[in-house]
Amino acid sequence: MSGTSRAQLCFLLLSVTALRGHARFLDIQDNDISPEGLLSLLNSELKRELPEEFVYRRALRCLDMVAVEGQFTFTAERPQLNCAVFFIGEPSDIISIEYDSVNIDCRGGDFIKVFDGWVMKGEKFPSTQDHPLPLYERYSDYCETGVTRPIVRSSQNVAMLFFRLHQSGSSFTVTFRKLINPFPCNVVSQTPEGSFTMIIPQQHRNCSFSIIYPVEIQIGELSLGQHNDLRRSILGCAGSGDFVELLGGNGMDTSKMYPMADLCYSFNGPAQMKVGCDNTVVRMVSSGKFVNRVSFQYRLLGHQELQQMKGNSVEDVCLRA
Amino acid sequence: MKPVPLVLLITSVLLTTHIPLSTCRPRDLSLMNSQLDDVLLNRAGDDAMSYLVGEKLLQYLQRNLGAQKAGGVLHLPHFPTAQLRSPHEDNSLEELTEFSKRNDDPPISIDLTFHLLRNMIEMARNENQREQAGLNRKYLDEAGK
Repeated sequence: MSGTSRAQLCFLLLSVTALRGHARFLDIQDNDISPEGLLSLLNSELKRELPEEFVYRRALRCLDMVAVEGQFTFTAERPQLNCAVFFIGEPSDIISIEYDSVNIDCRGGDFIKVFDGWVMKGEKFPSTQDHPLPLYERYSDYCETGVTRPIVRSSQNVAMLFFRLHQSGSSFTVTFRKLINPFPCNVVSQTPEGSFTMIIPQQHRNCSFSIIYPVEIQIGELSLGQHNDLRRSILGCAGSGDFVELLGGNGMDTSKMYPMADLCYSFNGPAQMKVGCDNTVVRMVSSGKFVNRVSFQYRLLGHQELQQMKGNSVEDVCLRA
Repeated sequence: MKPVPLVLLITSVLLTTHIPLSTCRPRDLSLMNSQLDDVLLNRAGDDAMSYLVGEKLLQYLQRNLGAQKAGGVLHLPHFPTAQLRSPHEDNSLEELTEFSKRNDDPPISIDLTFHLLRNMIEMARNENQREQAGLNRKYLDEAGK
C-alpha cells in the first residue's frame, strides 16, 4: 500500500470511531444568526416555547384533570396526603411534564411522582403487556431524579402526577406540554365519539385504544400483513402474530378485560359491534413483520340501546357495581 | 511506533470507550441491591403498593447495609409488626413500618369511578377549548396588525 492511501485509510478509520453526530435543524428567521440560536444546538432539548404572555397559568387542585398546555402551581394550604392529577392530550400527542420550581420536604415524606400512564383502582393503562417499560420505570420520583432530570415524558397521550405534601406552604410548579407522536400506540380517547387510524409500522408491540364509554365500534378497514393470507385465517387468531381484538370491561387494565371479538384477516368495508361496557378497547397485536393498520369509528350508545342490550343478553358480561 | 499500528491502537481504544452505559455494571453492593429489587418487585407482581414498600425497604437496606457488609447474612426487618431493636435504630425503620401499616390507603393509585373520570375529562376539554379559542383570537389579532 502506498503512503498516501495508507494515510487516507488511517484517517478514515479514525474518523469513523471518533465521530458521533446528531443532525439538528435550526430555523433562521430574518437571516439572523443569534448566539442563542447557535447555543441551542448544544441543548439537547429543543423546546417549543410560547411567548410569555401566551402561556396559560392556573392553580392545580388536589384532584385534577388537565388537557391544556400551560404552567400549573399547587400550593398546600393544609397537609395534602393523597393527591393525583391526570393529564390527557389528543390521541397523537405525548405528554411532557417539566418541574419549574419545587418547594417540598423530601426527607419529611413529601413526594411528587409522575406515572407514565393512568392508574385507577390499582389498574394501569397501558397494561404491563402493552407498555415498553417495566412498572418500576414508569414511576419517576422528583425526590430521586427530579433535579437531574427535570423533564419527564410519557409514552402515550396520558400521564399522571401523584403528590403528598405534609406542610402547609409547600408548593410546586410544573409545565405541561404536548408533543407530537407520529405513530400513537396506547391512547385514551377524550370523547365518546370519534374516529382513529392506528398504524403499527413493523414493530413488535401491542397497542390499545381505550374509550371509557359504552360505544358502538365500526371498523372501516383492517390491513394486517402485506398479503391477504388465507392460510392464516384458517389457523384462527390464536396462531396469528398479528390481529386486532375488541375488549370490554369495567377497569382500566386491558389484560383484565373480556374479549368481545377477534379479527385476524384483512378486510375492507364496515363491520360494527356494540360493546356495553364502561371501557371499550380496540387492541392491535403486532408481530413486527408487517405494517398493520386499522381504521375505526365509534359513537356513544344511548340509554335505550343499552337497556335493549341488557334485555337481549342472557348474561351481562359487563356487570355494573 | 509505526503509523498503522498506532492508528489501529487508537481506533481500538476509541471503539472500546464507546461502550453504552447500560453494559457496565459495578460488581458490588448495588448489584445485590438490584437483585433484591427484582425479587421484591417480581414477587409482588404488579401491585403498585408493594412496589412502594419494596422501594422503602431498599432505601433502608442501602442506608444500613454498610455496617453489615462484613456479614453475609441479611437481617431483614420483620414488617409490618417490626420491633425497634435498639434505641439507636434510625428513623428509616420506623418510617417503613408506619408506611406498611398504611397498606389499606395506597397513595400510588386512586379510587375513581368512570363517571367521575368522564366528567373531569369533559371539564378539562372545555377548559382546553376555551383557552385555544382565546389563543386563536390573540394570534389573529397579532396577524391582523
